[in-house]
Amino acid sequence: MKPPLFIVCSLFAAMFAMGSDPPAVRVEPADSVGPRRLEKQTETAVIRDYLQAWGSFSGAFAQNRVDLLDRDFTGTAKEKLADTIREQAKLGIHTRYRDTAHDLQLVFYSPEGLSIQLVDTVEYDVQIIDGQKIQTTQHVRARYVAVLTPTEVRWKVRIFQAESE
Amino acid sequence: MKSRFTFLLSGLVLAAMPPTLAQTSGLRLPKTVEAGSAFSIQSSGTGKAVLYIVGPGQALRRDVRLGETTFFAPGDLHNAGRYVVALVGDASTEDGAFDVIAASPPVALSFLAKPSRLAVNLHEGISGVVYVFDTFQNLVLTPAQVSFQLSGIAGAVQTRTALTRIGVAWTKMNSAAKEGASQFVARVGDAASTRVIQQVPGDACHLRMSARPSGERLAVETEPVRDCSGNALPDGTIVTFTETYKGSESTVDVPLKRGVARTDMPAYSGAKISVATGVLIGNEIRWDK
Amino acid sequence: MNNGRLLAIVIAAATVALIVVGTVWPVPSAKAMAGSGASLLRSSSSPQAAVENLAAEIGRQAWGNAYSSLANKSEFTEIEFVRDLTGSYPSLRTYATLDSFDLRPLHASADEAQIQLKLRWSTVVGAFLDTRELRVVRTGDRWGVVWPIVKEPRVPPQVIPVTYLRWDVIYRGAEDDWGSQDVEAPHVRIVDMHPVDRGGGVVIMGELLNEDVVPAFVTVKATLLAKNGSALSTEDSFDKISHILLPKQVTPFLIAFHDVALSEVDSVHMEPSSTLIAASADPVIEIEDQRLSPAPKATLNGKLVNQSGQAVSVAHVLGTFYDKNGQLIWVADQYVDRALLPQTPVAFAMSVPADIAVKVSSERAITTTYSSGRFQ
Repeated sequence: MKPPLFIVCSLFAAMFAMGSDPPAVRVEPADSVGPRRLEKQTETAVIRDYLQAWGSFSGAFAQNRVDLLDRDFTGTAKEKLADTIREQAKLGIHTRYRDTAHDLQLVFYSPEGLSIQLVDTVEYDVQIIDGQKIQTTQHVRARYVAVLTPTEVRWKVRIFQAESE
Repeated sequence: MKSRFTFLLSGLVLAAMPPTLAQTSGLRLPKTVEAGSAFSIQSSGTGKAVLYIVGPGQALRRDVRLGETTFFAPGDLHNAGRYVVALVGDASTEDGAFDVIAASPPVALSFLAKPSRLAVNLHEGISGVVYVFDTFQNLVLTPAQVSFQLSGIAGAVQTRTALTRIGVAWTKMNSAAKEGASQFVARVGDAASTRVIQQVPGDACHLRMSARPSGERLAVETEPVRDCSGNALPDGTIVTFTETYKGSESTVDVPLKRGVARTDMPAYSGAKISVATGVLIGNEIRWDK
Repeated sequence: MNNGRLLAIVIAAATVALIVVGTVWPVPSAKAMAGSGASLLRSSSSPQAAVENLAAEIGRQAWGNAYSSLANKSEFTEIEFVRDLTGSYPSLRTYATLDSFDLRPLHASADEAQIQLKLRWSTVVGAFLDTRELRVVRTGDRWGVVWPIVKEPRVPPQVIPVTYLRWDVIYRGAEDDWGSQDVEAPHVRIVDMHPVDRGGGVVIMGELLNEDVVPAFVTVKATLLAKNGSALSTEDSFDKISHILLPKQVTPFLIAFHDVALSEVDSVHMEPSSTLIAASADPVIEIEDQRLSPAPKATLNGKLVNQSGQAVSVAHVLGTFYDKNGQLIWVADQYVDRALLPQTPVAFAMSVPADIAVKVSSERAITTTYSSGRFQ
């Protein structure tokens, strides 16, 4: 690799690894969420747990560790993410996701209180690393649909899927 | 301060980058791919390269020859989401992205119905929520028609339909006027899911018993125990008979059987017999024979 | 040598010495129940010795030896003697072990004596006492016990149809979709709760109602909170409650806190919990002739009659006591050591503290039962 390119890649890796600023988060007012009435406490908990799920997801994919998904993901979302991590490990690659901005809108709270759906317009940087080599870094802006369900101590992400723009 | 420094540094780095890293003109990607369907990616140039298709849903890597079309078979990419693509050659890297969308129409659903039992005659007391999926468990985000049907032992069948919005549809139904188990079915396309909703009577409204001699003992029996709407209380509900006589007391907890509770008690002349269920107290009999 | 080390040495030496003494010169009942040797320490040359020997053999479950030593063994068989002590049907007696026994001579003459024998049996739910008034007679130079046999009634062979309701529960499986939720837990409600200072601690009594239409497995937990909101102590009802509640059934509960004064308590946080459980509406147990005998030895006496067809191995009776205002003032319980056979009354006597008994205006008793192979 040419020296300037090497320096650039190293700088990018360092920026990712530095644990740079937390993402900017904007939450749309949740006055019209229904049909179940959303308490402020519930809204705060859901958003907190969802953002922490992004942290778990990033960590799990960066280290190819399925167990890091256990705290914040469940059901289909956990199975799919776990399968992807296994695929990555088999290919000898890992990926770094760094979320830089979230624009969240809670759109549905089911009548019996067992699920909450939100839409997240998220901006993140994704890096593909093959072996030790960074193959690419891309900036992505995507609309994610997430469904969270309550467990004993937190809300966990059950559906985690990007929407086509 | 820290984020400003990072931004400045990024700018310097981008400026120093060779121009080929930013180009995507050599890579032709589909804009969207339906989950599970075949697709292809074209590249230009010559030589060998490595093609990465990576997203939270899946990770693929192929060794390709530049200038040729790379084909992906049905099922290779089946999880919906945003995928970034990188074509890494010896001299340059091409970037891109595309979306995989859920296959339509939906073929599976997750059906939440609550509560599993409730009182009769409750307006919109039952809720049903459906999330719709394709065959690969992707949430189908295009609107789909969901039908809900609540049918029971007696009474008219209730039917509602709803259109999914961002993959979810919901409804509310009334509980039946008569107690019993109802089947609550949600249907989308050929997929259906059933839940059982038990409609139960309210608390007992009137409690009356009678007594007659039965050999050397006294047979006590309640009238059919009903709630205030006339629904019979379910079998197994405990009714307590109490007999007091000269400072001593006899009690027996008897479950309802076919709507009535009956038992035998000692036949003491002058005994007082009372009956209760839950917090409702019924009539009292004084046995003087 | 410092004081701590000296004390440790003295305690160790004393322990060793006592172990040696207990091993070399054991008390008769301990030696007999340890099963050491075929011979007893002394022959039945006195009424007390005869009763002690008999009790020792009973403790070792050496039924043959115990039966052989009886003066009236011609009146009943060895099997009837064993059943008197262990029960014909599985019951608490069947699984009990003799913990200790006491003798009290009542009367003695040259050829006859009256001795009260108290057998203390140990079970998983606590101890129960079996008291027998024994007549001991002299035959030649030996004394023999005339055993007051209690013959358990036999239920004649018959068919008893049982048509009471039974509930079964179908739970969601591992393969079920997320939307397929288990049936909700039964709704239970505390209908009465009353904390009192008692015995150097706090006791919380109350009543719990299953207001649902399905059977519930229930427990109650309580947390005492101090004025600053911190938790002083948390306890649960353990077995001072009827854990299986059928629809609309009410159980008393009692939760005891030791070493906490009521004056330290600002509030109580109650946590009733219920789980759906498969259950049967039988056996139906009638509680006959309940009567509170007055202080000083206040007891709630009564008889349990099993109106169903299956023998009940263990019956647990819970008594709720109310004052003249209808306020709950005490909860007591007792396990019955004999099996409840169909249509066969079995007596119980539940102790009530004397100071509580004088205030009791009415009482209510319920039973929880366990049959071999089934818990109800």
